Amino acid sequence: MPPTLRSLLVAALLAAAPALHAQGRPLRADGVRGLTFGTVFPGIQVPVPASDAARSAQFDISGVKNSSIQITLLLPSQLTGAGTTIPLTFGAADGGYSLTGSTAGLMPFDPRVPLTTVLSNSGRGTVFLGGTLVPPNSQRAGSYVGTITITVAPLSL
Amino acid sequence: MTPRRTPRSFAAFPLPALALLALALVVGRATPLRAQGVLVAPQAVFMDHRTRAGAIELYNPGTEPAEVSISTLFGYPVTDSSGVTTLYTSAAPDPDAPSAAGWVQAFPRRLKLAPGQRQTVRLMARPPQNLPDGEYWTRLVIEASGGRVDVGGADSTSIQVGLLLKVRTVIALLYRKGGVSTGVALSNLRANVVGDSVAVRMRLAREGNAAYLGQVHAALLDARGREARSFAAPMAVYYALEPRYSLPVAGLAPGRYTLALRVDTSRDDITTAGVLAGRAVRDTVSVVVPPRR
Repeated sequence: MPPTLRSLLVAALLAAAPALHAQGRPLRADGVRGLTFGTVFPGIQVPVPASDAARSAQFDISGVKNSSIQITLLLPSQLTGAGTTIPLTFGAADGGYSLTGSTAGLMPFDPRVPLTTVLSNSGRGTVFLGGTLVPPNSQRAGSYVGTITITVAPLSL
Repeated sequence: MTPRRTPRSFAAFPLPALALLALALVVGRATPLRAQGVLVAPQAVFMDHRTRAGAIELYNPGTEPAEVSISTLFGYPVTDSSGVTTLYTSAAPDPDAPSAAGWVQAFPRRLKLAPGQRQTVRLMARPPQNLPDGEYWTRLVIEASGGRVDVGGADSTSIQVGLLLKVRTVIALLYRKGGVSTGVALSNLRANVVGDSVAVRMRLAREGNAAYLGQVHAALLDARGREARSFAAPMAVYYALEPRYSLPVAGLAPGRYTLALRVDTSRDDITTAGVLAGRAVRDTVSVVVPPRR
């Protein structure tokens, strides 16, 4: 097929795309708060539990009420910067899931493996994430960064 | 778990280190992440062989620009031996798998959304010639990264850490060609009290050549047929599922109950055009709620 004809065909097909109608409640995941370690000293670990309402990371999820979702967290094992790294560890109880958005009565989970859970009867759920920063004694001053990736997938479609 | 180390005594640090640490105490700050996912609608896209086109809408509700990429990945829900549903995915699906991941494309595939901006992303299918009639599946992975990491700056004497957030939203895309039909066979329904809940298990096997997008309705009926507990949950059967559901028993009088289960294609979260009607199936099973101890 000639390129021009192909382009025209593509344009026609795209124009024929069905109008977008509202279908239930759209799936949404938001990073509300980061994992906050406060002041960091060489050689001093900084643990932050998932239940720490001020320092744990918080992700709000909304979607279809009572629907089943899978949450997967891709976690960094270290933060990088200043030509070196700072180890960051996550334990089996460093994840917490809540239907109310509160850290009270969290359902603990291992953030290193995918979590299957349900949204509340109002279509909401909240993930809290803790972790431990492990700067060695020789940790150099500087700026260190890492990336947390959260993947949310509905399981009812 | 990582063993925790005992914090070192300040007396163990030489004076210059103490000075540095004092400075760190003043200016060393962890930096919160600043990013939000984008809102993706709809949750499922239905395309057909006639138009070979579809669309999703993206919206950035945050206060920072978001960089968005869209990719495809073959996958569908499955259950494990304990009834937990997970998303099976494969970057290299079997050649016989009904995958549309290799021939559905998004336009644009990468974009930047300003705060408050909406954008429609068009989807186009280029299926292989002589594609047999049936339904083909892929997942659309919408990855959003945004915000910035506030680290560095003028101060070079402290340890500063920052975390960037990426949010991936995964939605379903189903492509239909020719005659498609669906149905589900319900078997092996069982229910028993486990702890403070009635655990409900069943086997659901898809019929026809398209996924069964439906809903499970369950009601726990007492000896007089009155509804004591109920739930409804949307589900999707691509091949077979053996899901597990729970009904709380707290507050229920001890005795024999009947669990009545119905599976149908009533869905209010997807368009009527997307719903393939299939026959409803029903079954019942007895369950005994024991006296509390």
